[in-house]
Amino acid sequence: MMIRAIGAILMGAALLSGQGLNPKKLGEPPTDTWPTYNGDYSGRRFSPLSDVNTKNVQALTLAWVYDTTSATGTLGGVIKSTPLMVNGVLYFSIPDYVFAVDARSGHEIWHFKWASKGGWHLGNRGVGMHGSTLYVETPDCNVVALNSNDGSELWHKSICDLNEYYTATAAPIVIGDHVIIGISGDDLDIPGYLESLDPVSGEVQWRWNTVPKPGEPGSETWPSADAMAHGGGMTWVPSTYDPELKLLYLGTGNPQPVIAGKARQGANLYTESIVALHIDDGKLAWYFQASPHDTHDWDAVETPVLFDGEINGSPRKLLAQASRNGYFFVLDRTTGKDMTTSQFVKTNWSKGVNDIGQPIPNPAKEPQVDGALVSPNQGGAANWPPPSFDPQTNLFYVNASHAFSEYYIFDNNSKPEGWGGNDRGGGGKSMLQAIDYRTGKIQWSHEWSTGGARSGVLTTAGGLVFTGDPSENFVALDAQSGSALWHANLGATVSNGPITYSLDGTQYVIAGAGPNLFGFVMLARQ
Amino acid sequence: MQLLLKTTAGLAICAATVWAQQPAPSLPDAPGRDTVQQVCSACHPATVVLGKGRTRDEWSQTVSSMISRGAKGTPADFATITDYLAKNIGPGYKSAPGSARHAGGLAAGPTDRQVVDESAASRGAVLYQGRCESCHGALARGGSGPDLVRSGVVLHDLYGKQLTPYLKTRHPAVPGLQGLTDDQIADLSHYLHKQVDDTLRSGPYTKVINVLTGNAEAGKAYFDGAGKCSSCHSASGDLAHIAERYDAPTLQQRMLFPRVPAPGRGRMKAEKPVMVKVTADGQTESGTLVRMDDFEVALRDEQGVFHAWKRTPTMQVTVDDPYKAHDDLLEEITDSDIHNLVAYLETMK
Repeated sequence: MMIRAIGAILMGAALLSGQGLNPKKLGEPPTDTWPTYNGDYSGRRFSPLSDVNTKNVQALTLAWVYDTTSATGTLGGVIKSTPLMVNGVLYFSIPDYVFAVDARSGHEIWHFKWASKGGWHLGNRGVGMHGSTLYVETPDCNVVALNSNDGSELWHKSICDLNEYYTATAAPIVIGDHVIIGISGDDLDIPGYLESLDPVSGEVQWRWNTVPKPGEPGSETWPSADAMAHGGGMTWVPSTYDPELKLLYLGTGNPQPVIAGKARQGANLYTESIVALHIDDGKLAWYFQASPHDTHDWDAVETPVLFDGEINGSPRKLLAQASRNGYFFVLDRTTGKDMTTSQFVKTNWSKGVNDIGQPIPNPAKEPQVDGALVSPNQGGAANWPPPSFDPQTNLFYVNASHAFSEYYIFDNNSKPEGWGGNDRGGGGKSMLQAIDYRTGKIQWSHEWSTGGARSGVLTTAGGLVFTGDPSENFVALDAQSGSALWHANLGATVSNGPITYSLDGTQYVIAGAGPNLFGFVMLARQ
Repeated sequence: MQLLLKTTAGLAICAATVWAQQPAPSLPDAPGRDTVQQVCSACHPATVVLGKGRTRDEWSQTVSSMISRGAKGTPADFATITDYLAKNIGPGYKSAPGSARHAGGLAAGPTDRQVVDESAASRGAVLYQGRCESCHGALARGGSGPDLVRSGVVLHDLYGKQLTPYLKTRHPAVPGLQGLTDDQIADLSHYLHKQVDDTLRSGPYTKVINVLTGNAEAGKAYFDGAGKCSSCHSASGDLAHIAERYDAPTLQQRMLFPRVPAPGRGRMKAEKPVMVKVTADGQTESGTLVRMDDFEVALRDEQGVFHAWKRTPTMQVTVDDPYKAHDDLLEEITDSDIHNLVAYLETMK
């Protein structure tokens, strides 16, 4: 109660001083603000800004660099978070740290350090903002509320059990008076969930469990209560949201045990699924499972991107995902019905697609004691780096990978736990795919010269696609043709989703690469 | 040390707290350090490698797994990294204060996680077999009684501190367990935490069991026929005694993914470089490829001189990748072809 009261006072004070996030900004296409992980709730990562465009992008140049190691020392985290930009300040994170940086000049305003009790320091996707409060998740299973003016802690709250090998990486998403938090962990078999918290008190408003309890719908896809209680389905990546349907769209993680699935026969709902949840109570509206009974660690957590379009001449509210398993799904987001299923890179693990649009796993391509050659490899055809949808070209852009590996079972006991297997091998090709959502076909493919790391994608009304290549370049491509128009070597692969915003009539383009955040502007107008 | 661990669990927790306040850890200063720093820190703090000492084989598997997750470097880089890790952070490595899980990464779970005392765990194993196994199973994964690897009591336990009150007051077999001493319960605690550690992905269940399931004769037929392996290799030439140099899982990996340093016995062979020829403005240079992206191509010529060009539509770039045939094979080869080929390679002793 005390926390709630203090929080309310602080929030009130901040709103009076005009430094908080105007909630209206969350419903608009991002221009002078980037108020949430994806810029807006749709997950399109499309900016209506066009000052920087196909004609003048060659004059885009570096304005500033912020080096996080100036705050963290030699530890050297990697920026995987998408920054928010509110009232001229960028807010972003790496595990255990939050930074506030001047969006015009890259100078640090403050940074916050969390005293960690452990957890998997894999990455942090960013912060959420409500009024003048920032929310960040920590690897040791806490959500921390900060005063955005000075980075001071308002409160923190445990959101998962570190001892059971949960951890937390997701960016909280603020929708009205809900702070949506996801949890992570892939080591010892645990069930996944998504929670909605009160923005002021941090109290749980609702929880949705990825894996059902015995007797609930979906439980028939598991062999036992024990398998369900340890069934995985983490909520690694932030959700998207349709304010008209009041539905939250979430991609869920892999079932557990991850590779050795002998003791979890069945489809394992609702792991590796796209689910729609009612924002008010977290109840399931519909689901579509991308990989039934997966044994390859192919989370279906990739951003479910929302846009309106036409299918066979009829207007539809749509959702598209380029999933880690190599399939591109277009769903009607009102009903969850599949419109199109296609491969966005060639894969070898399925026997085709069933009548509801799901790939049919080939049991021979499950991990084997003597190895099974599978494509995609564990890294996936796509992974968490955010894709983009451009309503001007009607194309969906995703950095993809075509690679093989051998999947092995290491633990051949009747009840494998933890991993009990893994894949080995690697290499492969990387490419930026532009996908026509109406057909699921590749409109163009820009293959990079080497395989390797993947970067997030941003599209703009300037006809541009911004992303990173595996050779440490930040690249702008022509959204229509896929030809590269501009690049800059950032010394590390672009490690987050780039963003753009306009301040004082200047359009900035921001990308993180390794421990550094870079700000680009037009040196000269053309 | 054993006694200390058993009787001063409280102190151990305090020590972990003190560690967290010490300055950030750094990688041991030894050859290869810069490569580790450069390649690994592209995705995670390089210091995560300080979390746990591993054998060469385990490090090799870790590196291989990182490559499949997108780690970027040359084969020589990965060989250097494996070598650095094996030499400097081997099984006897003691985590530096403030390093390990605090730096995060490879090791999940709490920083103050129980450090298993192997001899206590061995004593605990005897106790477990006598008192617990009939209900909780040979691997502690449950039987008529609950799974203890996934048990909340075990996972929250530190050196028997939580296990003791549970076994003495709440366990269904309480009267029979009251005779257990605190030392015995601490031994059991070490045994159970060892089962948890073994189940985590750095545990012993990270080894290929057996890939020799194919037919060597069919493998030879594929080698000489459809696989076209014999157009570059021969059993009596370059591959003579190959099975003495590599174990079967390594043979399988190197055959499929020759760019990736594979785990197993034997040192890495020198990798074949990718060659490149560039013709621009009527002049041709050739040498080993240094880098190529959409915008630039660079090579090192026979004299060791570095050359680089901005890529233009008019220039000609010809890449000769010695492993291209292996890449192409991945698109066609079947699992039974693979198993037969490995069986054939295994005959080359």
